[in-house]
Amino acid sequence: MKWTIPAVSLSILVSLFTVISVNGCATGQTRHATSTVDYLYPNTKDPIVTPDIPVLTLPMRVGIAFVPGDGGGNYGRGLMGPRNQSFILTEKKKMDLMQEVANHFKKYPYVKDIELIPSAYLTARGSFANLDQIRTMYGIDVIVLLSYDQVQFTDEGMLSLTYWTIVGAYVIPGERNDTHTMLDAVVYDIKSRKMLFRAPGTHHIKGKATLVNLSEKLRADSETGFNEAAKSMIANLDQQLALFKEKVKERPAEYKVVRTSGYSGGGSFDLTALAMVLGLGGYFLWKRRRA
Amino acid sequence: MEAAARLKTRFPVWTLAICVSAALIFFSPLLTAILIYDRAAIADGELWRLVTGNLVHYSAGHLGYDLLAFLVAGIIIETNGYRHYPLLCLTAAAGIGMVLYWGEPAMFYYAGLSGVATAAVVYLCLHGLIEKGAWQWMCVAALFGLGIKVAIEFTLDEPLLVASGTKEFLPMPQSHLAGACVALFLFVLLYLRKRSMPQVSQS
Repeated sequence: MKWTIPAVSLSILVSLFTVISVNGCATGQTRHATSTVDYLYPNTKDPIVTPDIPVLTLPMRVGIAFVPGDGGGNYGRGLMGPRNQSFILTEKKKMDLMQEVANHFKKYPYVKDIELIPSAYLTARGSFANLDQIRTMYGIDVIVLLSYDQVQFTDEGMLSLTYWTIVGAYVIPGERNDTHTMLDAVVYDIKSRKMLFRAPGTHHIKGKATLVNLSEKLRADSETGFNEAAKSMIANLDQQLALFKEKVKERPAEYKVVRTSGYSGGGSFDLTALAMVLGLGGYFLWKRRRA
Repeated sequence: MEAAARLKTRFPVWTLAICVSAALIFFSPLLTAILIYDRAAIADGELWRLVTGNLVHYSAGHLGYDLLAFLVAGIIIETNGYRHYPLLCLTAAAGIGMVLYWGEPAMFYYAGLSGVATAAVVYLCLHGLIEKGAWQWMCVAALFGLGIKVAIEFTLDEPLLVASGTKEFLPMPQSHLAGACVALFLFVLLYLRKRSMPQVSQS
C-alpha cells in the first residue's frame, strides 16, 4: 500500500474520530436506590391511607429497617466494562449502619428497646400490611424506615488518552468519579399509619482513579458516601427529634402521649406518714399554747 | 426589741417560700415543663431539674398531701430555730434527684416534694431526740414509724396507705430514703462539729 498525503490525513482523522468517540461514550452512571413511598404506597389505585391520631406509649419500642428495593440497580456504561460492582450496601453493612443509628438512640430514656430488623423480614412493596406483621413479630410501636439513593458518575478526561499506551491505564488517573449519596430516615407510628418525622443525610464525593483500579475506588467512595451520609442523617435525626418533641407538646390534639407505669415516678406522702406529721404538729401547737 | 428580732428570725420564711413556689409551679404549665425532673432534658444538660423536680406536682391531691406534711415539719423546724434548714432542703432535693437519676434509669419523669418533706421530718425528729420530755418520745416514735413505713414501701413496692392523686405515677420510696439519709448525714455532721467546738465559758 502506498501512503499518499490524503490517505495519511484520512487515517489521522479516522483515528481521532475513534478516540473522541470512544471517550465520548465512556461516561458511566450507576444508581442504587430504594424508596419508602414505593414500599408503603405501592399501588396508586388504592385509596389513600388516612392516618389516625398516634398514641405514643412511652417508653417506646422502636424498630429500624432498610426499605427493600425492587432488586438490583441500574447502570449505564460505555466500553470500559461493568461498573455496578462498586455497590457495598450488603446485609452486613446495613446491619452495621442500623446498629450505629440504634446506638445513638439508646441514650434516650423514652426509647425502651431498639430492634434491628433484617431485610429478609421486609417484602418489596409490602406496605403497611408488612409493617403490621413486623409489629406483631417484634412487638414494636414505631419503626424507622431507612432508604437510600446513591448515584455514581464516571467520566473520562483528557488523561484517558494515555490508556492507548497500556501503561497509562495502570498509572494515570484518567477517570473522574462523582458519588452522590442520600440516606433518608422516616419514622412511622405503625398502628396509626402516621409519619412522625423524617431526617435525611447527604454526602458528595469527587474522586479520580486509574482505569485499572476504578472499581476499587468506586467501591471505596460508595462506602465512604454511606458512612458520611449516615453521620449527617444521625445529626439531622437529633434535630428533628427535638423539633418533634416540641410539636408533641404544642399540639396535644394531634399526638397523644401515654406513659406506662414506672415511667413517671413521684414522691408522695401517704396517709400514715401524714398522720404522724400531723400528730407531731398538733402536739407542738398544744405545747406552745400551754407555754 | 430583742423579742421582735427573735420573732422575725423565727418566721418560717423558707417553708412558706418553698410552699408558695410549689403552688405557683403547679398552676403554671410553662413552669412545670421547665422545672420537672425530665431524664432526657437532664441528660441534655438541664441539671437544675434534678433539684426543681421536687417542687413540681402531678395533681391537686399530690400537691396537697406533700405541702401539708412539709408545711407542718418546716414550720416547727424554723420556729424552733434549728440551723441550716435551707441547706437541708437544697441538699435533700439535689440528693433525691441524683439518687433517682442513677438508680432509676427507666423512670422518665419525677415530681413531688415528699422526699424533701421526709428529710424535714427526720431532721426535726433527730433534733427532738436531744430534747427532753414527751416530745423526745414522740420523735422516737415518729422516726421508728417512718423507718417501718419506708421498709414496707420497698418491700411491697407501693405506699402503705394510698393517698389521693397518686394513681398517675409510681411512688418512689427511694426519694424518701434519700431524703432521710441526707437529713441524718447533715444532723450528724452538725452534731459532731458542735461537739468538737471549744466551749465558751459564760462568766
